Amino acid sequence: MSIIEIRGLQKSFGDLQVIRGIDLNIEEKEVVVIIGPSGSGKSTLLRCMNYLEQPTGGSIVVDGIPLDGEANINKVREEVGMVFQRFNLFPHMTVLDNITLAPMKVRGIDKTQAEHTAIDLLTRVGLADKAQSYPDQLSGGQQQRVAIARALAMQPKVMLFDEPTSALDPEMVGEVLDVMKRLAESGMTMVIVTHEMGFAREVGDRLLFVDGGYIVEQGAPKEVFENPKEERTRSFLSKVL
Amino acid sequence: MTFNLDLILNSFPLLLIGAGVTVQITLLSVLVGVVIGLFVGIMRISSFKLLRFLGAVYVDFFRGTPLLVQIFLIYFAIPAITGQRMDPFVAAISACGINSGAYVAEIFRAGIQSIDKGQMEAGRSLGMTWIQTMRFIIVPQAFKRVIPPLGNEFIALLKDSSLVSVIGFEELTRRGQLIIAKTYGSLEIWLSVAIIYLIMTLTISRFVAFLEKKFNTERK
Repeated sequence: MSIIEIRGLQKSFGDLQVIRGIDLNIEEKEVVVIIGPSGSGKSTLLRCMNYLEQPTGGSIVVDGIPLDGEANINKVREEVGMVFQRFNLFPHMTVLDNITLAPMKVRGIDKTQAEHTAIDLLTRVGLADKAQSYPDQLSGGQQQRVAIARALAMQPKVMLFDEPTSALDPEMVGEVLDVMKRLAESGMTMVIVTHEMGFAREVGDRLLFVDGGYIVEQGAPKEVFENPKEERTRSFLSKVL
Repeated sequence: MTFNLDLILNSFPLLLIGAGVTVQITLLSVLVGVVIGLFVGIMRISSFKLLRFLGAVYVDFFRGTPLLVQIFLIYFAIPAITGQRMDPFVAAISACGINSGAYVAEIFRAGIQSIDKGQMEAGRSLGMTWIQTMRFIIVPQAFKRVIPPLGNEFIALLKDSSLVSVIGFEELTRRGQLIIAKTYGSLEIWLSVAIIYLIMTLTISRFVAFLEKKFNTERK
């Protein structure tokens, strides 16, 4: 059974149809990278996977739980971590509190245990010394690494990344991609929307090219980059590579 | 014309009793206003159309009609329906609190809506419920931002509480009127009344400035 099963997904914003029927299975431990021009629907597709966008048609099943009804949606969100383009750390809390909040409130883990896990995660992303800092005291790259640690603290089965490096200064992109790469190597199931083609090629198990609300082409990253079959893929890649 | 200092000194204890009543009405009305404001403010941003509509009706009605008329409605019109006499104190607190609730609701709504929507998304994506995200993430951040406008509202409410003098409730303004009726010392008494109001409102604005500073340096 696939960890994420999407059937006939559609999403419209008013009259504007952004996703026009997508079928997609994501397997456990798979790293799927989604690329495509802006406005292609790639972020919307990702945001449907944890119901931050409510699909207007089709079905999504995550880890055997259909995304329907408030209770199921919350259950799925506990299993699916998300990292945002603009980090969305909680500015009124320390880094440590940012990470421990959801495990304590949602999973009911006690404070000592939650803080222990948080320090472990901060160590993994190289920021153990920033536990007591506030988000605005950190660089963009550091904030994004904290955001990854915050999502991991829920011990999710899948991690979604919505253009995680697009809001970063160029010199900070590497540190975030490094953390993501190590996460992929550790066997995490990941779905990543990105413009980082080098990263997509190196880390992705499968590459999806999305345009006009459809998956236009998919395959092993190397294959798609070197021998794109579709004209639209070719023209997109020629602009970004 | 003469300025009678003795009149001021003699009336001062009575005026201070009135000021005490003014403080009492204001504090209780603020309490009522904040509780109503919190609920109505949340109704205004609810995803349920009916709640949004009811919240909007509340705000429109109580912000769109004069407080004086609302006081009359509560003190005279409601007893006309129920046949029971309304206690002036209850009428005063209800009118001021219900009226202030409309303004406080707008302050809370604006405060909550000023928080980046990424904060709600981050909270929800971590599996927290809407209520948990509101409670731990949105409201604490909004709280800091609503302190200055809430301070303004409380100052306005303290001054507006003078309107309840029309139903004979003996707060500061009414005390002043009663003393003048006996002594004819308009200048001395109204001046004293004004200064006492000023001292009270300045105290609130100092306190608000202190809170603002405290929350900005402590972060939490």
